[in-house]
Order: sequence, then structure tokens, then C-alpha cells
Amino acid sequence: MTTMISDLDIPGSQSAPAIQSDWQAGRLAMQGDSYPENSYELFDQVIHWVRLFLANEQRPLHLELALVYLNTSSVKAMMDIFDLLEEAFETGREVSVTWQYDVRNERIAELADEFREDCSYPFAITPIAGES
Amino acid sequence: MDLLSMRESYLHDRIMLCFNGPISRSLIEEIGKALRNYLDTQQAAPSAAMDVFAVYIEMTQNIRHYARRQGYDDELAAATVAVARSDQGHYQVSAGNLVEQADGERLVAAVEALSLLDKPALKQAYKQQLRRPRDAETPSGAGLGLIDMARKSSRPLHASLQPLSNQRSFFSLTATI
Repeated sequence: MTTMISDLDIPGSQSAPAIQSDWQAGRLAMQGDSYPENSYELFDQVIHWVRLFLANEQRPLHLELALVYLNTSSVKAMMDIFDLLEEAFETGREVSVTWQYDVRNERIAELADEFREDCSYPFAITPIAGES
Repeated sequence: MDLLSMRESYLHDRIMLCFNGPISRSLIEEIGKALRNYLDTQQAAPSAAMDVFAVYIEMTQNIRHYARRQGYDDELAAATVAVARSDQGHYQVSAGNLVEQADGERLVAAVEALSLLDKPALKQAYKQQLRRPRDAETPSGAGLGLIDMARKSSRPLHASLQPLSNQRSFFSLTATI
């Protein structure tokens, strides 16, 4: 039996990223700035989706991130998500992260790199040429 | 009201942007947007602009979280925020708010403890704080935000506490990017 929960399609705002999930494709994507005052009001549903996917499916899960700036509250929530992937990876699941960033924004590349230090699954940090 | 003398004092202190009053979630966003645009027109290095914005967000959100936890009304929750350019070309982000005397003393001690740490030790402290459970925040909160600000600063954070009436004090914090 397959369980399927409804996918997320959250529009972004000035302080919150746009978030889309695709259960069929095993894909979760987030773009933009993330600095809500209480990041868990936003990220709890994302964490819930990731938990359900990993518990109910055996297929790979891929995160496609294009986050630009994260406040510390969002950093904490993202770490929870990366930790869930790490736990799954350690039980043999196929998980991966791609984080695209504007080549001029070295701060977000540094942050992504600090997350990557605690992950043993494939975690690509990819510069893209910024529009000027 | 002597606006001219206010203006002259802002110019003298190289204040690019300042705010005083009750601070809401949307005000934080709007002032933040203005700050980013201003830094952009000043052709600040992208990483410096990002650091200034990040420190501004952590400071103002810490003030909001604190005021909410204390149940302060708008008047007590007022924040004083200023972003300035130092004479050596550094950016300075400062924010102040009313705190209970004991919380203020804890905050000053926390800032002073961070000032003893070099960058690798700050990174280690950051990662440790990040891994603490959500509900095990320090009594004054602000743990991760303070370490983050210290990491983004080129000099130690500077905190001060000025006692007012009713066991309250004015806490002010300055980060130099």
C-alpha cells in the first residue's frame, strides 16, 4: 500500500522562502530568503513532509535549495531537516542535496558548507552566475 | 522639536539609518529592505552588506522575542536601532531595548564571554548551541543569535547596561562588521 500526503506549494514572501514538494518525484525545493521570527511555524510542515516521505517510501529523496539568506531560527530548522536525511542515509537510503547560490553571495556558500560538514550524503554547493 | 540638531547629530555620528519606537514584524522587514537597498546604492561589498543585514535581523528579532516573553506592552517593547559607518569604513549595527536588570546582567556577561573567543572557538560554540534542543534555550534566550553576530563581526561585540527605574535597565549592543 502506498501512502501519499498532499504536496506543499507555499508561495514565498519577503521573509519566507517559496517551498514546493513533489512526493511522486521524491523532490523538495526551497528558494529565497528565510528570516521569519518563528521559523518552526513555517518549517514544521516541511519537517513533517520529509519525515512522512522517508517513513513511507523507499525511493530516493532530493532537496533542491536556492536559499539566499537564513536567520539563526531558520538555520536551526534546516539543520533538523538535514539531520533527518542523515539518519535515513545511515540506514542505506538514497538522499542528496543540491544548493545553488549566486556566485556573488559567498556568505550563503559558507553557511551551506557548514551544514555539509555534518552530512555524509551527497551535498553539492553550486555557484550560478548572478544576473546583474 | 529640533530636527536640525537631530539631523546634525546623525551626520556627525555617520548614522545611515535609525529607528526608535515599538518594532513590529513588518517594520523589521521594511527597515531591513531599506537597509539592503541603501547598502546596494553605497556599493558595499556583497558579503559586508549580507553581514550587516544579518546582524540587524538577529538584533531586532531578539528584541521582539524578549519583549514577547516578558509580556511587555508597546511602550516597554520599543527598540532603538542605528546603522552607522565608522570612520575606518566599518559598518556598525547597534540596537537597544529595555530589559529586566538581571536579564541585562546575564546578557552583558554572555557578550563578554564571547569576546574572549577567536573565530574557530566561536564556530564551535555556534555548532554546540545549534544542537541544543529547541526548548532548552538560556533564560535570556538570544544564545545562537549572539554567537552568530559575534562570528560576523570584525571586532568583539560591545554591550552595555544603563540602570533605569523599576529594576529595569537599557541594554545596548553594538556589532562592528
